[in-house]
Amino acid sequence: MPIKNILVPLAGGPPSLITAKYAIYVAKTMAAKLTVVYVVNENVLQELLKSRIFVEIEARVYDRDLEEQGRLFLERVKKMAESKGVEFEGVLLRGVVHDEVINKARQINADLLVMGELKELLSRKEVFCDEGERIFRESPCAVVVVKNPPEVERLYKEL
Amino acid sequence: MKISDYLRADCCIMDVKATSMEGAIREIVLVMGKAAKIADTDKFISDLLERERLGSTGIGNNVAIPHSPTDSIEGFAIAFGRSSTGIDFRSLDGENVNLIFLMGTNPQELNLYLKLLAKLSKLLIEQSFRRELLSAVNAQQVIDIFRKYEAE
Repeated sequence: MPIKNILVPLAGGPPSLITAKYAIYVAKTMAAKLTVVYVVNENVLQELLKSRIFVEIEARVYDRDLEEQGRLFLERVKKMAESKGVEFEGVLLRGVVHDEVINKARQINADLLVMGELKELLSRKEVFCDEGERIFRESPCAVVVVKNPPEVERLYKEL
Repeated sequence: MKISDYLRADCCIMDVKATSMEGAIREIVLVMGKAAKIADTDKFISDLLERERLGSTGIGNNVAIPHSPTDSIEGFAIAFGRSSTGIDFRSLDGENVNLIFLMGTNPQELNLYLKLLAKLSKLLIEQSFRRELLSAVNAQQVIDIFRKYEAE
């Protein structure tokens, strides 16, 4: 089955760049379209407001900063993808991270989801609560979990 | 992602000497500055006090979480301070604060910072967690208590 539609959820930061590079490598190799999703985690902001660690104005500032970071990050990955001749679409969403990612995968009929390395699980509870775990388990399509950053760097450079 | 991965024994003050909110923040940041990568401790203190002016970070149950993003920190940093006498943080419940968790982050690490803040807020719901921190005898025990509750 040819892979034509790759979805990549990214949270920003250096580990996300490795995931992006691998996804660009796979998209280029398969001549697939790459859709990168960045979700502003409204859930965590609401939790912090509810627990009174944040005040309203502070939560609004964080919300704005997260959105701006997401926009800049998508712009950066777009340049990376385009420099390798990969068709790219960046999507900024808001809400609960795993819900938004899974909905997007369904909406675009993704046939591959590329995600960053899953974190070490500390408890059984995290199997059900961790956003990465939930995306991995609930994805409607095949999932690739990126590992071995030096090898990813090598593959990306050779493109 | 665990708080115990970031909290270091040399950033745990088992007996905060300061008796005021501002003094406690200053005392903890100065200790933190010796262990974490803080380029400008005065700027960080000023950012934390600015945040306190928006509203107290004394969230009740004798706990305060002074926090702020700041350019003066490289990455993310957390420190713990305990006051046996209690400090007036103008807390929501009007009680003095005995447990202080001070957090700062470079704005580039916002996602990590928010998740760790959320994680800390969940841990602090547990009365037994707070009680064990109050009776910890040294900094290593504080970190061990975090490890224990983060594994549950």
